[in-house]
Amino acid sequence: MSRSIRIALRRQLRRQTCCAYALLLILCVAGFAQTKPDSAADQAEARILADFGSRIRKYLEARQNAGGAPKPAKEAEKLADHRKQTAAKLRAERTDAKRGDIFTPEITRYFREQIRATFAGPEGAKIRASLRRAEPVRGIVLKVNSAYPATLPLQSTPPTLLLNLPRLPKELEYRIVGRDMALHDTVTNLIVDFIPNAIPAS
Amino acid sequence: MRYLHHRDLPKTRPVARLRWLLCGVLFLVVAGFASYSRGPAGTRTIWNAVPFFGTTLQADAPPQANASGPELKLPLEEKSVRFAVIGDSGTGEREQYDVAKQIESYRQKVGFDFVIMLGDNIYGGHSPKDFADKFEQPYKPLLDAGVKFYASLGNHDDPGVERLYKPFNMGGERYYTFQKGDVGFFVLDSNYMDPAQLDWLENTLHNSKAKWKICYFHHPLYSDGKSHGPDLDLRAQVLPIFKRNGVNAVFSGHEHVYERLKPEEGIYYFILGNSAKLMTRDFSSTQNMVVGKDTERGFMIVEIAGDNLYFQTISRVGETIDSGTVARQAPAPTQSSR
Repeated sequence: MSRSIRIALRRQLRRQTCCAYALLLILCVAGFAQTKPDSAADQAEARILADFGSRIRKYLEARQNAGGAPKPAKEAEKLADHRKQTAAKLRAERTDAKRGDIFTPEITRYFREQIRATFAGPEGAKIRASLRRAEPVRGIVLKVNSAYPATLPLQSTPPTLLLNLPRLPKELEYRIVGRDMALHDTVTNLIVDFIPNAIPAS
Repeated sequence: MRYLHHRDLPKTRPVARLRWLLCGVLFLVVAGFASYSRGPAGTRTIWNAVPFFGTTLQADAPPQANASGPELKLPLEEKSVRFAVIGDSGTGEREQYDVAKQIESYRQKVGFDFVIMLGDNIYGGHSPKDFADKFEQPYKPLLDAGVKFYASLGNHDDPGVERLYKPFNMGGERYYTFQKGDVGFFVLDSNYMDPAQLDWLENTLHNSKAKWKICYFHHPLYSDGKSHGPDLDLRAQVLPIFKRNGVNAVFSGHEHVYERLKPEEGIYYFILGNSAKLMTRDFSSTQNMVVGKDTERGFMIVEIAGDNLYFQTISRVGETIDSGTVARQAPAPTQSSR
């Protein structure tokens, strides 16, 4: 092989190597550019969920101090008395509780987005049908620290929606009231907090 | 001589027009009093007496004792599992007490020792008096005889109190399981089917060695009733779990009628939401229906022996609305997701 051919081959190899490195660099940059916002979103979501979890824990501590969850009883009087006393103590302890203590503006934004995406998703029509058929509750003006009206039914919360919301300890529940979504404490029957107009208009 | 017709009233005298109006009001008042005087609960309204506004006048007829005693369609085999089914029962009104009397009369003949409750166990308030009027008093003969009640929660129930109320045997949980002989019962809270409950359902059904797997909960997955209809979102989430894990029969309430539905992929469906409440002329179609009854309240008695489930649905006046036998169908050999 002549020297000129060897030089030409070496140059071609160098060019190909440079191209390969350039391509690798482009891919890395593109990959990084793509993953960075996702990981930032994940971090933001994790931070919001951690904040939500910590507010829930704080509420549960307050309830525990007020009397906690009762044990099963044969007499309905015992259960009613326990609820009455626990709710009264908890209200007294949380006299300054207001809307937004748990559903802060940031957490509210997160919930609204989760709910919007669920209703806009493939199961949206089924969820709306289920809500219509579950004796929708209307006409209640929600108020933090007030009792859910004892004589009114509780509308079932669609399972697909629950799959997309942060999990709650077993005695707290998300409840739909009209278009609002309440955080309901089943032990004390108190409204812990709520998001007005959380359910997108149909 | 020209007869006076109400159409002519405006043309004649205003006094005559007023008389017609007074007659109408008087009719409503008399009918209203008649309606009040028939029931002990005192919660009925004047409108119940008027066919246009009331639920049903036919169903308000006082129950007649069946002259020949309870008519029985179950085989009463040895070592069978027998139970009664009630749904939407906790009104505290006379109709609930009437149905309860029929259940007791059948208990004496059938000898079942437990009752499953399909939700709406206590309507309205949940004070101790409500528990007495809407559960303890109407079912006192059953409770005194040692019959156990296993409740599920409906949308009118108070989960915080009822799951802790020992006579409902829920063990402090919204959803739970129990077994009688070869029959496993899986009691769900369809008001709040959260991921934790779905996980529990999948695992519990999968690990169960029961020959029969029966699920019961308040909201029906299929229904021809027009008041509520099927819960489509609930169906989308739980039905695949039922199918994967060989559920044989599903009982629901919510719709205030009785309906036996066509089996779907080996699962039999019953709706019984009329053990006190009733929604007359509620069926919008017969698309899924085998037998339906929307003009009378009732309850069911069930006997499971070997591979057969025998059932009999009985009205408030002791008539058999529906009866039959369904055979256990072998579950499709599908893999569980777990």
